[in-house]
Amino acid sequence: MDDYALGVLTNIGLFSFIALSAYLLLIAGEMSFGQQAFFGVGAYAGGILTALYGWPLPLAALAAMALGALAQFLVALPTLRLRGLYFAMATLAAAEMARILFELLHWRRSIDGELAGPDGTQGFRGIRWIFEHGIEPLHYLGIVGVLLALVLGLFVFVERSKLGATLRGIGQDPELAASVGIDVQRVKLGLAAAAGALAALGGVLYAHHNTYIEPRNFDIMLGVHSLAYALIGGLGTAFGPLLGVLLDIGVLESTRVFHGYRMIVFGGLVAVLLVFRPRGLLDERMVLWIRQRFS
Amino acid sequence: MDKAALLLSLVLAQTPQADLRCVATGEDFVYDCSIMLMRGGRPLEGADVTVGADMPSMPMAHSVRPAKAIPGTKPGEYRARLDLEMLGEWAIKLRLDGPVRDLLVLHYEFDSKGAKPSMGGQKMEHKKH
Repeated sequence: MDDYALGVLTNIGLFSFIALSAYLLLIAGEMSFGQQAFFGVGAYAGGILTALYGWPLPLAALAAMALGALAQFLVALPTLRLRGLYFAMATLAAAEMARILFELLHWRRSIDGELAGPDGTQGFRGIRWIFEHGIEPLHYLGIVGVLLALVLGLFVFVERSKLGATLRGIGQDPELAASVGIDVQRVKLGLAAAAGALAALGGVLYAHHNTYIEPRNFDIMLGVHSLAYALIGGLGTAFGPLLGVLLDIGVLESTRVFHGYRMIVFGGLVAVLLVFRPRGLLDERMVLWIRQRFS
Repeated sequence: MDKAALLLSLVLAQTPQADLRCVATGEDFVYDCSIMLMRGGRPLEGADVTVGADMPSMPMAHSVRPAKAIPGTKPGEYRARLDLEMLGEWAIKLRLDGPVRDLLVLHYEFDSKGAKPSMGGQKMEHKKH
């Protein structure tokens, strides 16, 4: 497999984490335009811990996930009181605040005689853990793939459990869910923390794959794409966002003939798709049909 | 040499540094680029260099297909043709294999004539060699 194919597959894996974090909130009826902030929190936290403090990547990833969970929990405390468009706008505002905080973040330490670490708008270079530990691109793709498989397995398990039914119930009618004794606010706060951790995991892996991050990496474009993946792929199963990422990257890569216009072509295809399939390709009806056909 | 300078030289002995010069070919968004790689103040030769590019605001999606660089005529020089999608700022990614494995990211502003360093951390890669 050449470097190009490895890079594309790794990107698909990395995007999938943020797509699944957006999906997690979508099935509970909340549309977040702010998952890129927690992706960024994970990237910065993981990078700081490995590059500046010499932590091993697995430990740094766990710490970054905890920080991502805490960050999204704190954002969710006030914003989950809002509904619909207002919640979406609040998450977008929170994400922009986070991006500006990244621009103001200067956390420099002397490492072997050279200053390293986040330097505001100049970005954060030298997140070299995978190079220092001799991890080849194919090996790293394997790490990303295994982690993604574990996360998908967890999603499948949850979706088939009572908790999965509860989440979908809250997403369809929160008042009805509350009337049968479900603490909607508490469930959503827990869900937000889980979504933050998941986005942060993607961020850690992205930072170490790229070796360099900067605040602009975590702007609204990433947030829009993360939502689009779930909405294109479908909200009926956790494999929907994965399908969305595959289609997104696949279409973008296969429309290189359009050069700079391919994003316009892609945007048009998404708009047409959402007119005919508003809950995506693998929506609840399609998933039910597949289950009936193959069970 | 003071202690800081000594330590800095030790770091430079390990961390590759890069400089990029690009000239527009006349074809839309296509540039011929010359890359100078240094390590420890000396030209880095024999490296396997792959050149890619991302747009900073959409790093994983708005990218160009990486191209293999070929050794140039000067020591430490490598040459590659970059086929971008549009003018503007690009994060050029140099993946190094061979005597050293690393990934260097350089920010350049591409216009109709060529490219010049932009913001985004040019300090490190462009002022130390």
